[in-house]
Amino acid sequence: MAQISTGSSPTAEDQRRLDDLYEMLRRESEHSVGYPCNQLFDYGPLYRFLDLPVNNIGDPYVTSNFHVNTHPFEREVVETLGRLTRAPAGSFWGYVTSGGTEGNLYGIFLGRELFPGGVVYYSEDTHYSVNKILRCLQVRNIMIKSDPDGRMDLDDLRETLKIHRDVPPIIFANIGTTMKGAIDDVAGIRRIFDDLAIHAHYIHSDAALSGMILPFVDDPQPWDFSDGVDSIAISGHKMIGSPMPCGVALAKKSHVDRIARNIEYVGTLDTTVLGSRNGVTPLFLWYALRTVGLEGFRRRVESCFETADYAIRRLKEIGRDAWRHRNSITVVFPRPSMRLIRRWQLAPHRHDAHVIVMPHVTREQIDRLVEDIAGDTPDPTEERGTS
Amino acid sequence: MKEIKVVSENRPNMVAEITGALADAGVNIEFISAENVGGSGVVSLTVDRYDEALRALARTPFQAISEDAIVIRLEDKPGELARITRRFKDANLNLRSIRIIRREGGTGIIAVAAEQPEQAKKLLKDVLIS
Repeated sequence: MAQISTGSSPTAEDQRRLDDLYEMLRRESEHSVGYPCNQLFDYGPLYRFLDLPVNNIGDPYVTSNFHVNTHPFEREVVETLGRLTRAPAGSFWGYVTSGGTEGNLYGIFLGRELFPGGVVYYSEDTHYSVNKILRCLQVRNIMIKSDPDGRMDLDDLRETLKIHRDVPPIIFANIGTTMKGAIDDVAGIRRIFDDLAIHAHYIHSDAALSGMILPFVDDPQPWDFSDGVDSIAISGHKMIGSPMPCGVALAKKSHVDRIARNIEYVGTLDTTVLGSRNGVTPLFLWYALRTVGLEGFRRRVESCFETADYAIRRLKEIGRDAWRHRNSITVVFPRPSMRLIRRWQLAPHRHDAHVIVMPHVTREQIDRLVEDIAGDTPDPTEERGTS
Repeated sequence: MKEIKVVSENRPNMVAEITGALADAGVNIEFISAENVGGSGVVSLTVDRYDEALRALARTPFQAISEDAIVIRLEDKPGELARITRRFKDANLNLRSIRIIRREGGTGIIAVAAEQPEQAKKLLKDVLIS
């Protein structure tokens, strides 16, 4: 068993292990086309901050006694994403999270705090982590069917809501499902509320990936604050790109203030889920937003669509039924063999697999993948859950 | 005796794969039955080491459902889930969660968790997968 040295520099063996690990990670990242992690970033100028014990504990909008934090930069990130999600100035609150799951946890938590007796409705195509959140929060929940393209089946939702009109619905809306990139019809959901005269309701948008796509397209599906949602989770390590997982939780300030007032009774105004929080990831996000710029992200998104359409064309050329949703960079195609799934780190689900055409994915990578798929021999029927 | 249900697409070697995975984990099967529900295979089993069995099954391609959930079958058509939730409302029973496990061949397999499981089972007896 390897021993951990207490000296100031690693042993030769430790150094060799680190070198091997680095090489393995570098090699594997070249074949990573199934998961939505953008690899196109350079945070070299920020590495000096890793020498400091930065900690963003607490609410970024509240002065803290711990001063080794990056709260001002975190607030700028939140303000920028607030504008991208069309929240009226001064009407929203947010913070940088550890990733999309914490943002979703925050959204459902807020919904449950506002409506303690509420029921969470979410679709069949929702990411598995939401089940964990529902268990943690012990909130009542009902899964709604998805249509074949992965969107929440609104007929099913309507029928279920009809029976529970007196119970406030907390809708977990997928703004880009994990497997198919499908976007739940937020406008349609709101119409059902109106039709059924349901006045007390809450909508959380899980826009982990699409939250940094839809602000840059000409015809976005309804998904943001101006479309009537109450909270939004966006991942930072997905479309923006970061060496560490992170994200942003955004919510209507009026909702958060109600929660904050509750917590005042126990002597704190801490509105975030976690206590100690990463203070470096807000810097990464701030740096990307400043250096890539919003126009840069718009160009990146356009480029991703072009590469995604290229992937669809190439897959169709070899007889694979490939497709994507409007405004999605997730290209869905029939599941290949496990050998290829492992080699290209594809995320399979039942009979489908997908490529997520992130900014770092090139046409050359697509060509190599398509070549592999063309020569592939499918496994005998096999089925696994979403990865 | 705690029961586990395993749900998958219906495939000929399903039972063999399940029993193999459990044998590899040193789990003894005390009872096992398999049935075809719509286009899905449902295997019910009881074992001597419940938690170990759930861990072993989590490493297989199959979906294992612990006894905490009541597993039912429904027609795959709009409003069927609503029909079930209405029963709970009418009976004044609290429903904790409803989760769709599979939909295949016009049939949905659904896991229901309720605060009073025995009463809930009675309420769902016509759609229970035994």
